[in-house]
Amino acid sequence: MIADEPTLARLMAQSQAGDRQAYTVLLTEAQLWLERYFRRRVAPAQMDDLVQEVLMALHHKRATWDSSRAFLPWLAAIARYRWVDHLRRVYRNEEEALGDHDAAEESEEEAVLARMSLERLFVHLPDKQVEAIELVKIEGLSIAEASHRTGQSESAVKVNIHRGLRKLAALIEKAE
Amino acid sequence: MTMNRAPNPLIDALAEELVPVKPMTMRGGMAAVAVAVAVTLVLVELFHGMWQDAFAGAATPFFWVTNGLLAVLGLASATSVVRIAGPRVGNRHEAPQWALAAVVVLPLAAIAALLLGHSDESPLADRYGLECAQLSLAFSLVIAGTLVLWLRRGAPVSLAVAGFHTGLAAGALGAAAYGLSCPLTGETHLGIWHVVPVFAMALAGRFAVPHLVRW
Repeated sequence: MIADEPTLARLMAQSQAGDRQAYTVLLTEAQLWLERYFRRRVAPAQMDDLVQEVLMALHHKRATWDSSRAFLPWLAAIARYRWVDHLRRVYRNEEEALGDHDAAEESEEEAVLARMSLERLFVHLPDKQVEAIELVKIEGLSIAEASHRTGQSESAVKVNIHRGLRKLAALIEKAE
Repeated sequence: MTMNRAPNPLIDALAEELVPVKPMTMRGGMAAVAVAVAVTLVLVELFHGMWQDAFAGAATPFFWVTNGLLAVLGLASATSVVRIAGPRVGNRHEAPQWALAAVVVLPLAAIAALLLGHSDESPLADRYGLECAQLSLAFSLVIAGTLVLWLRRGAPVSLAVAGFHTGLAAGALGAAAYGLSCPLTGETHLGIWHVVPVFAMALAGRFAVPHLVRW
């Protein structure tokens, strides 16, 4: 079981004061919480890297948590920010690797779970943007494959991914 | 509370290098804004001199309305920027929008006065208009720099809003501070030339600041 909000807030306050023992517990709890938070939002193979990135961000930006406010909404905002950044990087990597279709296939169940977990933010996006991001970012299709599947041109797929990610970035704090 | 699992070396490393930090609070951020505004007012006094007669009753009501609305817009936007530095799911940054809507009334009123024949001062024939706009922009830089530094220390996740509100805050507070030194009180001069720099700074902030504060 992961610690509750008051416990996490207390640990974070102690961490800001320099208590290393409290910080170790906090980071361990945050790691568990993030793994659960991201479980259906990223491919399992990328989970560890993303969690580590958020833990690093938590460390470097720990002064930005105000003890008069809740801890988990602060952590969730940082996690979403890093997640959107992660989606952008995946896209760039795929752009560079166009033509390489040897990536390991993920199970359909994992893909479905990943798709469902993003719906909460996706409800604010037009269907075509959601479709393009889901196919390319979650299911791992190439731009050409996504174009064939959706009937959108390759340019339209790229534009819809680009615009969708911009909107996701704008929704990081808003979408509850 | 924590499940048994393989230790994460990163957690040990981060804990090892932990040092106490001073939390960034709203109070601290607003204090920084207050200092920047005070420095700006001193600079206006040093380089341009306040319009002392305004405080003796020479200014029109429109003078105080314009500078007052600009100050409110600047304060609302600066508060938003300070808050954005500490991210949180559930944050809303909407207060500046309403203050901005109120300020937009100023140029609209000036244009309406011109079109309806209530004013004969064309903004294009205003020989001091451009100078006032440039000085307003110049006097917004200290506040802009302060807010950007605050955001760089912080963890903003709404970068576009952060940039737009930084521009609004700096532009509006700079224009209000400079406005106290300008003896021209016509609605066209104030409504156009003292407000346009705010829009210019907001646009500049929207596109420049995200690059400066991304993390």
